[in-house]
Amino acid sequence: MTRYAMAVDLDLCQGCRGCMVACKVENNTVEGNFWMYVFRFEAGTYPDTKITFLPRPCQHCDNAPCVKVCPVGARFKREDGLVLTDADRCIGCRYCELACPYGVNYFNWQKPEKAQYAIVDWRDESIESVTGGLIPPYKNPDLDELWGDEQRRTAGGGHAKGVMEKCTFCVHRVEKGLEPACVDSCPTNALVFGDLDDPDTPMSRYLRENRTWQLLEEAGTRPRVYYVGGTPPTRHQTEIERPKATV
Amino acid sequence: MKVEKSLPQGVGKFTPGWIVFIAVAMVVLIIGVLAYLYEANMGLIVTGMANIGTQGGATWGLYVVMVEYFIGVSLAGIVLVAFAHVFDIKALRAISRLALLLTTCSLMVGLLAVLIDLGTPIRGIINMILYVRPQSPFFGTFTLVAVGVLLSSLMYLYLDGRRDAAYLADIDSGLRWYHRLWAAGYGDTQAEQERHRRTMFWLSILIVPFVIVALSTEGLVFGIQVGRPGWFGALQAPDFIILAAASGLANLIVLTAIVRRVLKDDSTLIGPAVFKWLGGLLLAATAAAVYLQIVELVTMLYATPGNERLLADALLRGPYAWIFWSGLFLVVFGLTLLVTQAARRQWSLGVLIIASVAISTSVVAERYLTVIPSQTHGMMLPYEPGSYFPTWVEFAVVAGMFALGALLIGLFMKVFPIIPLDGKRAEQEVLVDA
Repeated sequence: MTRYAMAVDLDLCQGCRGCMVACKVENNTVEGNFWMYVFRFEAGTYPDTKITFLPRPCQHCDNAPCVKVCPVGARFKREDGLVLTDADRCIGCRYCELACPYGVNYFNWQKPEKAQYAIVDWRDESIESVTGGLIPPYKNPDLDELWGDEQRRTAGGGHAKGVMEKCTFCVHRVEKGLEPACVDSCPTNALVFGDLDDPDTPMSRYLRENRTWQLLEEAGTRPRVYYVGGTPPTRHQTEIERPKATV
Repeated sequence: MKVEKSLPQGVGKFTPGWIVFIAVAMVVLIIGVLAYLYEANMGLIVTGMANIGTQGGATWGLYVVMVEYFIGVSLAGIVLVAFAHVFDIKALRAISRLALLLTTCSLMVGLLAVLIDLGTPIRGIINMILYVRPQSPFFGTFTLVAVGVLLSSLMYLYLDGRRDAAYLADIDSGLRWYHRLWAAGYGDTQAEQERHRRTMFWLSILIVPFVIVALSTEGLVFGIQVGRPGWFGALQAPDFIILAAASGLANLIVLTAIVRRVLKDDSTLIGPAVFKWLGGLLLAATAAAVYLQIVELVTMLYATPGNERLLADALLRGPYAWIFWSGLFLVVFGLTLLVTQAARRQWSLGVLIIASVAISTSVVAERYLTVIPSQTHGMMLPYEPGSYFPTWVEFAVVAGMFALGALLIGLFMKVFPIIPLDGKRAEQEVLVDA
């Protein structure tokens, strides 16, 4: 049986947030939604400061509180460990978002196409004359497909108003034998992904060879994301900056 | 001897005051509906809600606060009537229908608020039927409360009014067909009366534990969330029930006072004993609510775990402090008024109404503080604190909810007597005997 997991090496992470960008491009997430998020913390007082980073994907918990509270089974855990949202079944009650201690869920408050990044007006005639109306938003067709043995629309479902979304470990890529986009794009190999049940995968070797810890272990969620190096975050750390987009 | 009868308590008669009341309620309701249609079209983006965490918002807002409030208000009516039936408290008989009506209407409005808050309301109804999971605390809201309690209160209201419907069905009026339908063949014979009494008694005994269990799930929605500081705790369910009792009784007192004033000629049917009972019960419920609040406050102040610290600061001296302290002031003020009246053994209706309004408002504040701050200041990871303030859309929709409740009660009063006709029936029996 396959058991997917991810490892995050904090000693290798340089906080470039390339994984956040890769996730956005791959999953076409809307403005303000970060399925993968990297905290950038600063501790101390200038000039004696220390900067640390903490990538935060969905933890795909084995004891997932979001799965427990979902009233209709739209949030579910697959046998391979992926915690996914069925975009066709979600009723938009947002209980999963509140049950999750990691803050990884993002609700679509409006039609997603209205909330795509809009630095320029892509419908402007002068811009359309160049783009031919084709971009953006770029739409990954895989997101709208049915995936897994369950054949459910779990890769974001092409995004819809009034439903919940979150990191899927790029289920549409994993099903094709690829790694999640964030892992694939990491320039320092700080992110590792693979099958825990296969002792020969880099993921299994990584866990064997390193001491790991998990985020908010006290919450009893049993995450599938293992951290190597660094230290668990504390309330005394403050983020350098907040994401500017709030919707 | 033929008994001359006309419809009592202004049923079927449309006074100018009533028409103005209905017109105002309709206007507010229409504004609420239009605001909701705007929200349905644009998405919940038009509310003040936003995702928690990186977006620094509250994903449950005023609608969920009102769900908790309205469903809470519904508790008192049905439990009070059951209590009165089981212990045969005659003084409360006069307001039994009003209490059940309050339960039914506030439940309907509360459940409507649940739907209004959903991202996909129609899919919500369908999928809750197709895929419901009893493991989710929402199962309690959607099934036990939506189906169980609502149907029980409707059934209770129906059975409670059956004897009066049989009486009214004899009166030649435009509503006769309706009263006949309600009576459904019930003739109020000696045997039927006995059967009715037994049914009501057993229904009352069964309904209390069922309603308490069903409504406790509303508290459990918050209480079992280990990942949200401020929510996780065994007190959430009992706290919900106690606050529900206090807010329900407070609303019932205000409603009873309004009905008493509106009925004019029949106002004597609601005697001082009713308010004495309601005032005493409200005093007990409020005292229990204050006790629980003090217990929570002491626990929070004495040994706040790391993640709860930020939340405690936000509540006591941060952005929510004005709501926290105003709510506490109102509940203590209301309780003081009630204690003073109880000590003097004299219940003034005006003071009782002031105390009720203060207590009911404090419960809204308490519900707000239960739902919102844990989202904006209760993150276990070091996200920056967030904020939430409702928009005009949310205020308009909530005003519409209140208008809908008022409209339902106003309409009911014109098709059925709001106070049971026990006295009228006794009068008729005497005349028939003569």
